[in-house]
Amino acid sequence: MSMKVIACYKIVPEELDIIIKADRTLDMSKAVLKLGQYDLPAIEEAVQTAESAGGKAIILCAGPTEIDNSKLIKAALSRGAAELFMVVDDAMKTADASQTAGVLAAAAAKIGFDLIICGEGSSDIYAQQVGAQLGEQLQVNTFNAVNNIKLNNGSIIVERALEREIEVLDVPLPAVISVTTDINLPRIPQLKDILAAGKKPVTKWGLSELGVSIANPIDVVSTLAPESKERRQIIIEGDSDDKVEAFLQNIKKDL
Amino acid sequence: MCKISNIWVSGEAVSALTDLIAGAKTLADTVSVIVFGDGAQAAEAFAAGADKVYVIPGKDLLLEDYTPSLQNLIARENPRLLMLKTSKRMRLIAGRLAAAAKTSVITDVTALTFDGGAIIGEHMVYGGSAQRLEKSSAGLCVTLVPEGVFEAPPPAGASNGEIIEADFIQPSRKANLMERRPIVAESVNLAVAKKVVGIGRGVAKQEDISLIEQLAKAIGAEMACSRPIAEGANWMARERYIGVSGAMLKPDFYFAIGISGQIQHMVGVNNSKTIIAINNDKNAAIFKYADYGLVADLYAVVPKLIDKLNA
Repeated sequence: MSMKVIACYKIVPEELDIIIKADRTLDMSKAVLKLGQYDLPAIEEAVQTAESAGGKAIILCAGPTEIDNSKLIKAALSRGAAELFMVVDDAMKTADASQTAGVLAAAAAKIGFDLIICGEGSSDIYAQQVGAQLGEQLQVNTFNAVNNIKLNNGSIIVERALEREIEVLDVPLPAVISVTTDINLPRIPQLKDILAAGKKPVTKWGLSELGVSIANPIDVVSTLAPESKERRQIIIEGDSDDKVEAFLQNIKKDL
Repeated sequence: MCKISNIWVSGEAVSALTDLIAGAKTLADTVSVIVFGDGAQAAEAFAAGADKVYVIPGKDLLLEDYTPSLQNLIARENPRLLMLKTSKRMRLIAGRLAAAAKTSVITDVTALTFDGGAIIGEHMVYGGSAQRLEKSSAGLCVTLVPEGVFEAPPPAGASNGEIIEADFIQPSRKANLMERRPIVAESVNLAVAKKVVGIGRGVAKQEDISLIEQLAKAIGAEMACSRPIAEGANWMARERYIGVSGAMLKPDFYFAIGISGQIQHMVGVNNSKTIIAINNDKNAAIFKYADYGLVADLYAVVPKLIDKLNA
Protein backbone atom coordinates (compact mmCIF):
# COMPACT_ATOMS: atom_id res chain seq x y z
CA MET A 1 0.00 0.00 0.00
CA SER A 2 1.43 3.27 -0.97
CA MET A 3 1.35 6.10 1.54
CA LYS A 4 -0.67 9.22 0.78
CA VAL A 5 0.67 12.40 2.35
CA ILE A 6 -1.24 15.67 2.02
CA ALA A 7 0.29 19.07 2.78
CA CYS A 8 -2.11 21.97 3.29
CA TYR A 9 -1.21 25.54 2.47
CA LYS A 10 -2.84 28.94 2.34
CA ILE A 11 -2.53 31.72 -0.20
CA VAL A 12 -2.00 34.97 1.71
CA PRO A 13 -1.37 38.65 0.92
CA GLU A 14 2.26 39.82 1.11
CA GLU A 15 2.11 41.72 4.40
CA LEU A 16 4.92 44.07 3.33
CA ASP A 17 2.58 45.41 0.60
CA ILE A 18 -0.27 46.23 2.95
CA ILE A 19 -0.88 49.97 3.03
CA ILE A 20 -2.15 51.53 6.23
CA LYS A 21 -4.60 54.32 5.51
CA ALA A 22 -5.04 57.50 7.55
CA ASP A 23 -8.10 56.05 9.31
CA ARG A 24 -5.94 53.01 10.30
CA THR A 25 -7.85 50.65 8.01
CA LEU A 26 -5.81 48.42 5.69
CA ASP A 27 -5.58 48.78 1.94
CA MET A 28 -4.84 45.34 0.50
CA SER A 29 -5.20 46.33 -3.16
CA LYS A 30 -1.41 46.49 -3.71
CA ALA A 31 -0.68 43.29 -1.78
CA VAL A 32 0.39 40.50 -4.13
CA LEU A 33 -0.66 36.98 -3.20
CA LYS A 34 1.89 34.37 -2.14
CA LEU A 35 2.19 30.99 -0.47
CA GLY A 36 2.12 31.30 3.29
CA GLN A 37 5.71 31.26 4.55
CA TYR A 38 4.96 28.84 7.40
CA ASP A 39 3.38 26.41 4.92
CA LEU A 40 6.55 25.91 2.85
CA PRO A 41 8.10 23.55 5.44
CA ALA A 42 4.82 21.59 5.49
CA ILE A 43 4.97 21.04 1.72
CA GLU A 44 8.68 20.14 1.89
CA GLU A 45 8.09 17.66 4.72
CA ALA A 46 5.21 15.99 2.86
CA VAL A 47 7.39 15.60 -0.23
CA GLN A 48 10.31 14.16 1.77
CA THR A 49 8.06 11.84 3.81
CA ALA A 50 6.28 10.53 0.71
CA GLU A 51 9.65 10.01 -0.98
CA SER A 52 11.09 7.96 1.87
CA ALA A 53 7.85 5.95 2.17
CA GLY A 54 7.62 5.38 -1.54
CA GLY A 55 4.28 7.14 -1.44
CA LYS A 56 2.63 10.14 -3.00
CA ALA A 57 2.76 13.79 -1.90
CA ILE A 58 -0.39 15.77 -2.58
CA ILE A 59 -0.97 19.45 -1.85
CA LEU A 60 -4.29 20.95 -0.87
CA CYS A 61 -5.44 24.51 -0.52
CA ALA A 62 -8.75 26.32 -0.09
CA GLY A 63 -9.61 29.93 -0.77
CA PRO A 64 -11.51 32.47 -2.88
CA THR A 65 -11.29 32.67 -6.70
CA GLU A 66 -8.04 34.71 -6.57
CA ILE A 67 -6.12 31.55 -5.59
CA ASP A 68 -7.03 29.96 -8.93
CA ASN A 69 -4.06 31.60 -10.61
CA SER A 70 -1.54 29.73 -12.75
CA LYS A 71 1.47 31.47 -11.19
CA LEU A 72 0.36 30.56 -7.66
CA ILE A 73 -0.46 27.01 -8.75
CA LYS A 74 2.99 26.59 -10.30
CA ALA A 75 4.64 28.16 -7.25
CA ALA A 76 3.04 25.45 -5.11
CA LEU A 77 3.49 22.48 -7.46
CA SER A 78 7.13 23.38 -8.20
CA ARG A 79 7.98 22.34 -4.63
CA GLY A 80 7.91 18.63 -5.33
CA ALA A 81 4.34 17.40 -4.78
CA ALA A 82 2.76 15.22 -7.48
CA GLU A 83 -0.73 16.65 -7.52
CA LEU A 84 -2.80 19.62 -6.36
CA PHE A 85 -6.37 19.77 -5.06
CA MET A 86 -7.96 23.18 -4.65
CA VAL A 87 -11.23 24.18 -3.06
CA VAL A 88 -12.10 27.43 -4.80
CA ASP A 89 -15.09 29.37 -3.58
CA ASP A 90 -15.61 33.05 -2.85
CA ALA A 91 -17.36 32.09 0.37
CA MET A 92 -13.80 31.30 1.61
CA LYS A 93 -12.83 34.98 1.43
CA THR A 94 -13.47 35.61 5.11
CA ALA A 95 -13.05 32.03 6.33
CA ASP A 96 -11.37 31.70 9.71
CA ALA A 97 -9.39 28.72 10.97
CA SER A 98 -12.48 26.79 12.04
CA GLN A 99 -14.23 27.21 8.70
CA THR A 100 -11.04 26.48 6.76
CA ALA A 101 -10.53 23.30 8.80
CA GLY A 102 -14.08 22.21 7.96
CA VAL A 103 -13.52 22.70 4.25
CA LEU A 104 -10.10 21.00 4.29
CA ALA A 105 -11.55 18.09 6.26
CA ALA A 106 -14.21 17.49 3.61
CA ALA A 107 -11.62 17.71 0.83
CA ALA A 108 -9.10 15.45 2.60
CA ALA A 109 -11.76 12.84 3.31
CA LYS A 110 -12.61 12.80 -0.38
CA ILE A 111 -8.95 12.55 -1.46
CA GLY A 112 -8.05 9.95 1.18
CA PHE A 113 -4.87 10.19 3.25
CA ASP A 114 -2.51 8.52 5.70
CA LEU A 115 -0.87 11.70 6.92
CA ILE A 116 -1.76 15.38 6.64
CA ILE A 117 0.92 17.99 7.32
CA CYS A 118 0.03 21.61 8.09
CA GLY A 119 2.29 24.59 8.75
CA GLU A 120 2.68 26.24 12.12
CA GLY A 121 0.06 28.88 11.23
CA SER A 122 -1.06 31.05 8.35
CA SER A 123 1.16 34.07 7.76
CA ASP A 124 -1.84 36.42 7.68
CA ILE A 125 -4.03 35.45 10.64
CA TYR A 126 -1.54 33.17 12.46
CA ALA A 127 -4.15 31.63 14.75
CA GLN A 128 -2.23 28.32 14.54
CA GLN A 129 -5.51 26.44 14.72
CA VAL A 130 -6.17 24.72 11.38
CA GLY A 131 -4.09 21.59 12.09
CA ALA A 132 -5.70 20.92 15.48
CA GLN A 133 -9.22 21.54 14.24
CA LEU A 134 -8.69 19.56 11.04
CA GLY A 135 -7.47 16.56 13.03
CA GLU A 136 -10.42 16.74 15.41
CA GLN A 137 -12.94 17.11 12.59
CA LEU A 138 -11.43 14.10 10.82
CA GLN A 139 -11.39 12.18 14.13
CA VAL A 140 -7.72 11.23 13.80
CA ASN A 141 -4.64 11.76 15.96
CA THR A 142 -3.41 15.33 15.83
CA PHE A 143 -0.32 17.00 17.25
CA ASN A 144 1.36 20.37 16.85
CA ALA A 145 4.84 21.88 17.30
CA VAL A 146 6.42 18.95 15.46
CA ASN A 147 10.00 19.47 14.39
CA ASN A 148 10.88 15.96 13.27
CA ILE A 149 8.94 13.12 11.63
CA LYS A 150 10.23 9.55 11.21
CA LEU A 151 8.28 6.77 9.59
CA ASN A 152 7.52 3.73 11.67
CA ASN A 153 5.38 0.70 10.86
CA GLY A 154 1.83 2.08 10.53
CA SER A 155 2.75 5.05 12.65
CA ILE A 156 5.11 8.00 12.75
CA ILE A 157 7.59 8.98 15.43
CA VAL A 158 7.31 12.72 15.95
CA GLU A 159 9.37 15.10 18.01
CA ARG A 160 7.49 18.03 19.48
CA ALA A 161 9.32 21.17 20.53
CA LEU A 162 7.27 22.35 23.51
CA GLU A 163 8.07 25.28 25.80
CA ARG A 164 10.24 23.38 28.26
CA GLU A 165 10.74 19.97 26.76
CA ILE A 166 11.15 17.91 23.65
CA GLU A 167 8.49 15.22 23.57
CA VAL A 168 8.85 12.14 21.38
CA LEU A 169 5.58 10.41 20.47
CA ASP A 170 4.69 7.36 18.45
CA VAL A 171 1.55 8.49 16.63
CA PRO A 172 -0.60 5.87 14.89
CA LEU A 173 -1.71 6.83 11.38
CA PRO A 174 -3.85 8.36 10.01
CA ALA A 175 -2.84 11.64 11.63
CA VAL A 176 -2.74 15.40 11.17
CA ILE A 177 0.54 17.03 12.17
CA SER A 178 1.43 20.74 12.36
CA VAL A 179 5.14 21.34 11.80
CA THR A 180 7.46 24.12 12.94
CA THR A 181 9.60 26.21 10.60
CA ASP A 182 12.62 24.32 11.99
CA ILE A 183 11.67 20.93 10.59
CA ASN A 184 13.49 21.41 7.28
CA LEU A 185 14.86 23.96 4.88
CA PRO A 186 12.28 24.22 2.08
CA ARG A 187 13.75 23.83 -1.40
CA ILE A 188 14.03 26.76 -3.76
CA PRO A 189 12.27 25.69 -6.98
CA GLN A 190 14.46 25.74 -10.09
CA LEU A 191 13.27 26.66 -13.57
CA LYS A 192 12.85 22.98 -14.51
CA ASP A 193 10.65 22.47 -11.43
CA ILE A 194 8.45 25.38 -12.43
CA LEU A 195 8.15 24.02 -15.97
CA ALA A 196 7.34 20.53 -14.68
CA ALA A 197 4.73 22.03 -12.32
CA GLY A 198 2.68 23.14 -15.31
CA LYS A 199 2.16 19.51 -16.32
CA LYS A 200 1.00 18.18 -12.95
CA PRO A 201 -2.68 17.33 -12.35
CA VAL A 202 -4.86 19.96 -10.68
CA THR A 203 -8.36 19.20 -9.37
CA LYS A 204 -10.71 22.04 -8.45
CA TRP A 205 -13.80 21.72 -6.29
CA GLY A 206 -16.42 24.19 -5.11
CA LEU A 207 -17.95 24.06 -1.62
CA SER A 208 -21.18 22.58 -2.99
CA GLU A 209 -19.30 19.66 -4.54
CA LEU A 210 -17.85 18.90 -1.12
CA GLY A 211 -21.20 19.32 0.55
CA VAL A 212 -19.90 21.87 3.07
CA SER A 213 -21.23 25.27 3.97
CA ILE A 214 -19.58 27.99 5.99
CA ALA A 215 -21.11 29.03 9.32
CA ASN A 216 -19.83 31.98 11.27
CA PRO A 217 -19.77 31.62 15.07
CA ILE A 218 -17.38 34.57 15.49
CA ASP A 219 -17.87 37.98 13.83
CA VAL A 220 -15.03 40.25 12.89
CA VAL A 221 -15.82 43.66 14.36
CA SER A 222 -12.85 45.59 12.98
CA THR A 223 -9.31 45.24 11.67
CA LEU A 224 -7.25 48.34 12.35
CA ALA A 225 -3.56 49.16 12.40
CA PRO A 226 -2.32 49.91 15.89
CA GLU A 227 -2.00 53.59 16.67
CA SER A 228 1.53 54.39 15.67
CA LYS A 229 3.80 56.14 18.08
CA GLU A 230 5.29 59.41 16.86
CA ARG A 231 9.02 58.93 16.41
CA ARG A 232 11.56 61.73 16.28
CA GLN A 233 13.33 60.31 13.21
CA ILE A 234 16.59 62.17 13.72
CA ILE A 235 18.79 60.26 11.28
CA ILE A 236 22.50 60.89 10.73
CA GLU A 237 24.36 59.50 7.70
CA GLY A 238 28.04 58.53 7.69
CA ASP A 239 30.67 56.72 9.75
CA SER A 240 33.15 59.51 10.45
CA ASP A 241 34.13 60.29 14.03
CA ASP A 242 32.01 63.46 14.04
CA LYS A 243 28.92 61.64 12.85
CA VAL A 244 29.35 58.85 15.38
CA GLU A 245 29.88 61.42 18.13
CA ALA A 246 26.74 63.33 17.09
CA PHE A 247 24.74 60.09 17.06
CA LEU A 248 26.07 59.17 20.49
CA GLN A 249 25.12 62.58 21.91
CA ASN A 250 21.59 62.03 20.53
CA ILE A 251 21.11 58.63 22.08
CA LYS A 252 22.73 59.62 25.39
CA LYS A 253 19.71 61.83 26.06
CA ASP A 254 17.61 58.69 26.38
CA LEU A 255 20.14 56.23 27.76
CA MET B 1 -22.13 46.40 34.42
CA CYS B 2 -23.54 43.13 33.23
CA LYS B 3 -21.25 40.14 33.74
CA ILE B 4 -20.75 36.75 32.13
CA SER B 5 -22.48 34.14 34.26
CA ASN B 6 -19.80 31.48 34.05
CA ILE B 7 -16.16 31.51 32.89
CA TRP B 8 -13.92 28.49 32.88
CA VAL B 9 -10.18 28.92 33.22
CA SER B 10 -7.57 26.27 32.52
CA GLY B 11 -3.98 25.74 31.51
CA GLU B 12 -0.99 23.46 31.87
CA ALA B 13 -0.26 24.39 35.48
CA VAL B 14 -2.67 25.90 37.99
CA SER B 15 0.19 27.87 39.54
CA ALA B 16 0.47 29.84 36.28
CA LEU B 17 -3.23 30.73 36.15
CA THR B 18 -3.43 33.47 38.79
CA ASP B 19 -3.57 36.25 36.18
CA LEU B 20 -6.32 34.55 34.17
CA ILE B 21 -8.37 33.80 37.28
CA ALA B 22 -8.07 37.45 38.36
CA GLY B 23 -9.04 38.61 34.86
CA ALA B 24 -11.96 36.19 34.73
CA LYS B 25 -13.24 37.52 38.06
CA THR B 26 -13.56 41.01 36.57
CA LEU B 27 -15.71 39.57 33.76
CA ALA B 28 -17.79 36.88 35.46
CA ASP B 29 -19.96 36.13 38.46
CA THR B 30 -18.61 32.61 38.79
CA VAL B 31 -15.09 31.51 37.87
CA SER B 32 -14.42 27.80 37.59
CA VAL B 33 -10.96 26.32 37.17
CA ILE B 34 -10.42 23.01 35.43
CA VAL B 35 -7.64 20.91 36.95
CA PHE B 36 -6.14 17.86 35.26
CA GLY B 37 -4.95 14.82 37.19
CA ASP B 38 -3.87 15.87 40.64
CA GLY B 39 -6.78 17.26 42.70
CA ALA B 40 -4.34 18.82 45.17
CA GLN B 41 -3.93 21.68 42.70
CA ALA B 42 -7.47 22.79 43.63
CA ALA B 43 -6.13 24.62 46.70
CA GLU B 44 -3.96 26.83 44.48
CA ALA B 45 -6.96 27.65 42.32
CA PHE B 46 -9.05 28.66 45.35
CA ALA B 47 -6.18 30.74 46.70
CA ALA B 48 -6.10 32.58 43.40
CA GLY B 49 -9.82 33.31 43.64
CA ALA B 50 -11.61 30.43 41.90
CA ASP B 51 -15.21 29.86 42.99
CA LYS B 52 -15.37 26.29 41.77
CA VAL B 53 -12.84 23.67 40.72
CA TYR B 54 -13.53 20.77 38.41
CA VAL B 55 -10.99 17.96 38.72
CA ILE B 56 -10.62 15.56 35.82
CA PRO B 57 -8.89 12.54 37.35
CA GLY B 58 -6.08 10.75 35.55
CA LYS B 59 -2.51 9.54 35.89
CA ASP B 60 0.48 9.17 33.57
CA LEU B 61 -1.28 10.81 30.65
CA LEU B 62 -0.42 13.37 28.06
CA LEU B 63 -2.32 16.57 28.82
CA GLU B 64 -3.88 16.11 25.37
CA ASP B 65 -5.47 12.86 26.59
CA TYR B 66 -7.82 14.90 28.82
CA THR B 67 -9.40 16.53 25.74
CA PRO B 68 -12.36 14.09 25.39
CA SER B 69 -13.13 14.53 29.11
CA LEU B 70 -13.06 18.30 28.71
CA GLN B 71 -15.25 18.09 25.62
CA ASN B 72 -17.71 16.00 27.61
CA LEU B 73 -17.70 18.43 30.54
CA ILE B 74 -18.26 21.43 28.26
CA ALA B 75 -21.15 19.74 26.46
CA ARG B 76 -22.79 19.01 29.82
CA GLU B 77 -22.21 22.29 31.64
CA ASN B 78 -22.29 24.82 28.78
CA PRO B 79 -19.85 27.48 30.00
CA ARG B 80 -20.07 30.74 28.03
CA LEU B 81 -16.36 31.51 27.97
CA LEU B 82 -13.29 29.33 28.17
CA MET B 83 -10.02 31.14 28.93
CA LEU B 84 -7.02 28.90 28.29
CA LYS B 85 -3.48 30.01 29.12
CA THR B 86 -1.51 30.10 25.88
CA SER B 87 1.02 27.31 25.41
CA LYS B 88 1.64 24.83 22.62
CA ARG B 89 -0.30 22.04 24.28
CA MET B 90 -3.22 24.32 25.18
CA ARG B 91 -3.28 25.66 21.62
CA LEU B 92 -3.82 22.12 20.38
CA ILE B 93 -6.42 21.35 23.03
CA ALA B 94 -8.24 24.66 22.33
CA GLY B 95 -8.51 23.75 18.66
CA ARG B 96 -9.84 20.30 19.41
CA LEU B 97 -12.41 21.68 21.89
CA ALA B 98 -13.55 24.33 19.42
CA ALA B 99 -13.83 21.83 16.58
CA ALA B 100 -15.95 19.53 18.73
CA ALA B 101 -18.20 22.43 19.77
CA LYS B 102 -18.30 23.78 16.17
CA THR B 103 -16.91 27.15 17.10
CA SER B 104 -13.71 29.17 16.56
CA VAL B 105 -10.89 30.06 18.91
CA ILE B 106 -9.95 33.67 19.49
CA THR B 107 -6.22 33.12 19.81
CA ASP B 108 -3.56 35.07 21.67
CA VAL B 109 -5.93 37.79 22.78
CA THR B 110 -4.32 41.11 23.66
CA ALA B 111 -7.56 42.29 25.31
CA LEU B 112 -10.76 40.56 26.34
CA THR B 113 -13.98 42.43 27.23
CA PHE B 114 -17.68 41.79 27.72
CA ASP B 115 -20.09 44.28 26.25
CA GLY B 116 -23.84 44.06 25.77
CA GLY B 117 -23.89 40.28 25.93
CA ALA B 118 -20.97 39.85 23.50
CA ILE B 119 -17.46 38.68 24.30
CA ILE B 120 -14.94 40.73 22.37
CA GLY B 121 -11.37 39.58 21.92
CA GLU B 122 -8.57 41.52 20.29
CA HIS B 123 -5.65 39.85 18.52
CA MET B 124 -2.94 40.64 16.02
CA VAL B 125 -3.23 39.84 12.31
CA TYR B 126 -1.08 40.32 9.20
CA GLY B 127 2.20 39.85 11.01
CA GLY B 128 1.35 42.62 13.46
CA SER B 129 0.20 45.17 10.87
CA ALA B 130 -3.22 45.28 12.48
CA GLN B 131 -5.29 44.42 15.53
CA ARG B 132 -8.53 42.61 14.87
CA LEU B 133 -11.57 42.69 17.15
CA GLU B 134 -13.64 39.53 17.11
CA LYS B 135 -17.02 39.08 18.71
CA SER B 136 -18.76 36.01 20.07
CA SER B 137 -22.46 36.72 20.63
CA ALA B 138 -23.68 33.36 21.87
CA GLY B 139 -22.66 29.79 22.55
CA LEU B 140 -19.25 28.70 23.70
CA CYS B 141 -16.38 31.14 23.17
CA VAL B 142 -12.90 29.60 23.34
CA THR B 143 -9.94 31.94 23.89
CA LEU B 144 -6.20 31.52 24.31
CA VAL B 145 -4.87 34.15 26.69
CA PRO B 146 -1.13 34.72 27.02
CA GLU B 147 0.78 36.09 30.01
CA GLY B 148 0.49 39.82 30.48
CA VAL B 149 -3.11 40.49 29.41
CA PHE B 150 -4.38 40.47 32.98
CA GLU B 151 -2.47 41.33 36.12
CA ALA B 152 -1.92 38.66 38.72
CA PRO B 153 -2.84 40.02 42.14
CA PRO B 154 -0.96 38.94 45.25
CA PRO B 155 -2.38 35.62 46.56
CA ALA B 156 -5.41 36.20 48.76
CA GLY B 157 -4.47 33.38 51.08
CA ALA B 158 -5.88 29.89 51.17
CA SER B 159 -9.61 29.48 50.96
CA ASN B 160 -11.87 26.63 50.12
CA GLY B 161 -14.59 26.15 47.59
CA GLU B 162 -16.64 23.62 45.78
CA ILE B 163 -14.66 20.77 44.21
CA ILE B 164 -16.43 18.75 41.54
CA GLU B 165 -14.92 15.51 40.32
CA ALA B 166 -15.57 15.22 36.59
CA ASP B 167 -15.75 12.01 34.56
CA PHE B 168 -12.63 10.79 32.84
CA ILE B 169 -13.45 9.80 29.29
CA GLN B 170 -10.97 7.35 27.81
CA PRO B 171 -9.61 8.81 24.56
CA SER B 172 -10.42 6.69 21.53
CA ARG B 173 -7.17 7.72 19.85
CA LYS B 174 -3.82 7.90 21.57
CA ALA B 175 -0.16 8.46 20.89
CA ASN B 176 2.48 6.62 22.89
CA LEU B 177 4.96 8.69 24.80
CA MET B 178 8.46 7.44 24.02
CA GLU B 179 10.68 10.06 25.54
CA ARG B 180 10.79 13.49 27.15
CA ARG B 181 13.93 15.58 27.24
CA PRO B 182 14.01 18.90 29.05
CA ILE B 183 15.10 21.81 26.90
CA VAL B 184 18.06 23.46 28.51
CA ALA B 185 16.75 26.96 28.14
CA GLU B 186 18.84 29.98 28.71
CA SER B 187 17.22 31.81 31.58
CA VAL B 188 16.58 35.21 30.12
CA ASN B 189 13.60 37.36 30.84
CA LEU B 190 13.67 40.02 28.18
CA ALA B 191 10.28 41.31 29.29
CA VAL B 192 11.80 42.91 32.38
CA ALA B 193 14.83 44.44 30.63
CA LYS B 194 14.75 48.25 30.51
CA LYS B 195 17.26 48.41 27.68
CA VAL B 196 17.50 45.94 24.84
CA VAL B 197 19.94 45.65 21.93
CA GLY B 198 18.57 43.65 19.00
CA ILE B 199 20.64 42.26 16.14
CA GLY B 200 19.52 41.17 12.70
CA ARG B 201 20.89 39.85 9.46
CA GLY B 202 23.22 42.85 9.14
CA VAL B 203 25.53 40.98 11.50
CA ALA B 204 27.52 38.83 9.08
CA LYS B 205 29.00 36.11 11.29
CA GLN B 206 28.21 34.48 14.61
CA GLU B 207 31.64 35.52 15.94
CA ASP B 208 30.67 39.14 15.38
CA ILE B 209 27.94 38.95 18.02
CA SER B 210 30.61 39.46 20.69
CA LEU B 211 31.24 42.93 19.27
CA ILE B 212 27.58 43.85 19.77
CA GLU B 213 27.66 42.27 23.22
CA GLN B 214 30.42 44.71 24.19
CA LEU B 215 28.16 47.56 23.14
CA ALA B 216 25.20 46.10 25.06
CA LYS B 217 27.43 45.78 28.13
CA ALA B 218 28.59 49.37 27.82
CA ILE B 219 25.01 50.63 27.97
CA GLY B 220 23.72 47.96 30.37
CA ALA B 221 21.37 46.34 27.87
CA GLU B 222 20.09 42.80 27.38
CA MET B 223 20.79 41.13 24.01
CA ALA B 224 17.99 40.12 21.64
CA CYS B 225 17.61 39.39 17.93
CA SER B 226 15.30 39.00 14.95
CA ARG B 227 13.81 35.60 14.11
CA PRO B 228 16.37 34.50 11.46
CA ILE B 229 19.24 34.91 13.93
CA ALA B 230 17.59 32.49 16.38
CA GLU B 231 15.82 30.18 13.95
CA GLY B 232 17.69 29.03 10.91
CA ALA B 233 21.03 30.56 11.85
CA ASN B 234 20.76 29.31 15.47
CA TRP B 235 23.21 31.97 16.57
CA MET B 236 21.17 32.97 19.59
CA ALA B 237 18.66 31.25 21.88
CA ARG B 238 14.98 31.13 20.91
CA GLU B 239 14.10 33.04 24.06
CA ARG B 240 15.93 36.03 22.64
CA TYR B 241 14.06 36.60 19.44
CA ILE B 242 11.64 39.47 19.22
CA GLY B 243 8.52 39.50 17.11
CA VAL B 244 5.03 38.35 16.43
CA SER B 245 5.84 34.71 17.17
CA GLY B 246 8.55 35.48 19.73
CA ALA B 247 9.07 37.94 22.59
CA MET B 248 6.81 40.98 22.81
CA LEU B 249 8.66 43.72 24.68
CA LYS B 250 8.12 47.21 26.01
CA PRO B 251 11.59 48.44 27.01
CA ASP B 252 12.53 52.05 27.66
CA PHE B 253 15.26 51.80 25.06
CA TYR B 254 15.53 49.55 22.02
CA PHE B 255 18.71 49.64 19.95
CA ALA B 256 18.32 47.84 16.59
CA ILE B 257 21.61 46.94 14.91
CA GLY B 258 21.58 45.51 11.39
CA ILE B 259 17.82 45.01 11.57
CA SER B 260 15.78 45.89 8.48
CA GLY B 261 12.59 46.67 10.39
CA GLN B 262 10.03 44.19 9.07
CA ILE B 263 6.65 44.55 10.70
CA GLN B 264 6.81 41.03 12.19
CA HIS B 265 9.85 42.10 14.20
CA MET B 266 8.83 45.67 14.95
CA VAL B 267 5.50 44.67 16.46
CA GLY B 268 7.52 43.17 19.30
CA VAL B 269 9.22 46.47 20.17
CA ASN B 270 6.80 49.10 18.83
CA ASN B 271 5.92 50.23 22.32
CA SER B 272 9.51 50.98 23.34
CA LYS B 273 9.90 54.50 24.68
CA THR B 274 12.92 55.17 22.46
CA ILE B 275 14.03 53.30 19.34
CA ILE B 276 17.57 53.67 18.01
CA ALA B 277 18.82 52.11 14.77
CA ILE B 278 22.06 51.49 12.93
CA ASN B 279 21.73 50.17 9.40
CA ASN B 280 23.83 50.63 6.25
CA ASP B 281 20.71 50.95 4.08
CA LYS B 282 19.22 54.41 4.46
CA ASN B 283 15.95 53.15 2.97
CA ALA B 284 15.59 50.39 5.56
CA ALA B 285 12.14 50.38 7.16
CA ILE B 286 13.73 50.50 10.61
CA PHE B 287 14.45 54.23 10.23
CA LYS B 288 10.71 54.95 9.97
CA TYR B 289 10.34 53.58 13.49
CA ALA B 290 13.47 55.20 14.89
CA ASP B 291 13.86 58.18 17.16
CA TYR B 292 17.58 58.31 16.40
CA GLY B 293 19.30 56.61 13.52
CA LEU B 294 22.77 56.21 12.07
CA VAL B 295 23.12 55.22 8.42
CA ALA B 296 26.48 53.47 8.41
CA ASP B 297 28.25 50.13 8.29
CA LEU B 298 27.84 48.69 11.76
CA TYR B 299 31.38 47.25 11.63
CA ALA B 300 32.76 50.77 11.15
CA VAL B 301 30.74 52.51 13.84
CA VAL B 302 30.03 50.00 16.62
CA PRO B 303 33.73 49.80 17.71
CA LYS B 304 33.84 53.61 17.82
CA LEU B 305 30.69 53.72 19.93
CA ILE B 306 32.12 51.14 22.35
CA ASP B 307 35.35 53.14 22.72
CA LYS B 308 33.47 56.36 23.36
CA LEU B 309 31.04 54.77 25.83
CA ASN B 310 33.87 53.10 27.75
CA ALA B 311 36.12 56.15 27.68
